[in-house]
Amino acid sequence: MSRLEEERKPFHIKILDRIRASKLLKIIVLLAPASIFLAIFFFSPFIIALMYSFNMFKQVVYTYVFVPRISLEYYIRLLDFPGIFVTMQRSFYYAIVTVILTLLLSYPAAYYIGFKLDPKYKSTAVLLFIIPFWVNFLLRTYSMKFVLHDEGLVNTLLMTLGLIKEPIRFLGTDLAVIIVMAYDYMFLMFLPLYGVLEKLDKELLEAAATLGASPYKTFLKVTLPLSSPGIIAGSLLVFIPAVGEFIIPMLVGGVNTTTLGTLIYSFFITVRGEAGWGIGSAAGLIYIIFIMVLSYLYIKLVGAEVQFG
Amino acid sequence: MSKSDVILKIYTILLLGIIYVPIGVLIVFSFNNSRNRAVFTGFTLENYYRLLADERVWSSFYNSIWVAIVVTIASVFFAILLSYAVTRYDFKGKDILDMLLLIPIIIPEIVEALTLLLFFIIIGIPLSPWTIIIGHIAFDISFAYLVIKARMAGYDPQYEEAARTLGADELKTFFRVTLPILLPGIIAASLIAFVESYDDFIKSYFTRPGGFSTLPVHIWSMASRRGVTVDLNALATIVVIIAIFFAYIRIKMERWM
Repeated sequence: MSRLEEERKPFHIKILDRIRASKLLKIIVLLAPASIFLAIFFFSPFIIALMYSFNMFKQVVYTYVFVPRISLEYYIRLLDFPGIFVTMQRSFYYAIVTVILTLLLSYPAAYYIGFKLDPKYKSTAVLLFIIPFWVNFLLRTYSMKFVLHDEGLVNTLLMTLGLIKEPIRFLGTDLAVIIVMAYDYMFLMFLPLYGVLEKLDKELLEAAATLGASPYKTFLKVTLPLSSPGIIAGSLLVFIPAVGEFIIPMLVGGVNTTTLGTLIYSFFITVRGEAGWGIGSAAGLIYIIFIMVLSYLYIKLVGAEVQFG
Repeated sequence: MSKSDVILKIYTILLLGIIYVPIGVLIVFSFNNSRNRAVFTGFTLENYYRLLADERVWSSFYNSIWVAIVVTIASVFFAILLSYAVTRYDFKGKDILDMLLLIPIIIPEIVEALTLLLFFIIIGIPLSPWTIIIGHIAFDISFAYLVIKARMAGYDPQYEEAARTLGADELKTFFRVTLPILLPGIIAASLIAFVESYDDFIKSYFTRPGGFSTLPVHIWSMASRRGVTVDLNALATIVVIIAIFFAYIRIKMERWM
């Protein structure tokens, strides 16, 4: 192509040619849309929230202006909030009990499906296990209201069997929140457990048996340690959302089941205004930092596990 | 089969049964003729008639659908570009990019939602359906990216090289070769992105303008009332059937891929 022709080309064609010719430009064009979008609407909001929680914005009529100051006011007000420590403690208690419950409930099933079941039926069984969890979270939680209601299924069943005379009051209690959390989050524990158990080498168990270990001992000394990456992954997957859960305590809990999540919710939705958003984002950021520490520990722990196996 | 295996088998079957009970109860009570009790007093279709006559249900359903469609198109588009760059080119910081793209999935949604709301307030963007859409795209890019990248990494780039050798330029190769091969991945990613948006409650609730609700937001406003209301059960039953339909397509898709 002659130089003249090259110069006559319209501007946008020239730009396209330049992009075609340069690998770097191509990569930039491919990465830019999503990166810019996420930088603006995902990552920068975290920075804004961080700044807001340190009181670096001031409201002037209807707009907010940046003020170069750092104040811990919102964090102090969060820690001064009546019952804050009980609330934090309760969130941890719910999350830890939920982790233990989901582990105890799903381990035997994951073990059976991953280990003992005819491979033909494995994928069907896993599917049967996860289908209920594809139903909207709100509806799954709401459906438990019918099961745990004073006149609900569990109470009706127990009364018919003559085990109790008066219905047990579930709704509004810690017990209801924990039962529903265990139900809603069980699949997050089941899937990684199944993933690990399904891949576990059966010959190792046979070796243990040949060497004279009882099935009980084989389980404790071989199966359980080898499935620990699944246990850790599942525990983390359940713990992270459980510790900040607000939907379940609000739907099946009561006045005595406020958690970190319901607190953040009420600051943002009910209290609103400068103080509500400030204290709420302080609480949200504490939650996030806590989760990052946990995830870091997880990578450390499981990284070590992988080398071990 | 040893005795312990039998116990395990019975336990697994019981557990698989029990996890369906709450949803089953929900459906049964959608036919209950007592409006706010958890006791079955008689069969009726009244709840469904009332539901289908409810203007707000229809408008929130319509909102959920169009929001999810816009979100799906945008996030799948972003994800295709990203996956193409990551699987076809080598560049610095690829691993970091991969990790950053996982963050929107890992971060608890309530924190994502509150930071985004704060962002809109500070910047001075008034809340609208588009603020919901922006919030949904932010996590859907990651879901779509994971699926499309897996598909892209799973096939041989020789097809593309062959097209290039035969004289097609890169754009033509992309549209004639890469895109058709990617299609199952794109459909799967669209389906996941659609469901994630259509099903989302937390981000929609935080970043919605007053008076605008999606289906999950409407469900929340009904479910968070005291006690039980069978009005919601009829709606729930329909939503559950739609969810199972989506699940079925998802399974079919996985077999196809």
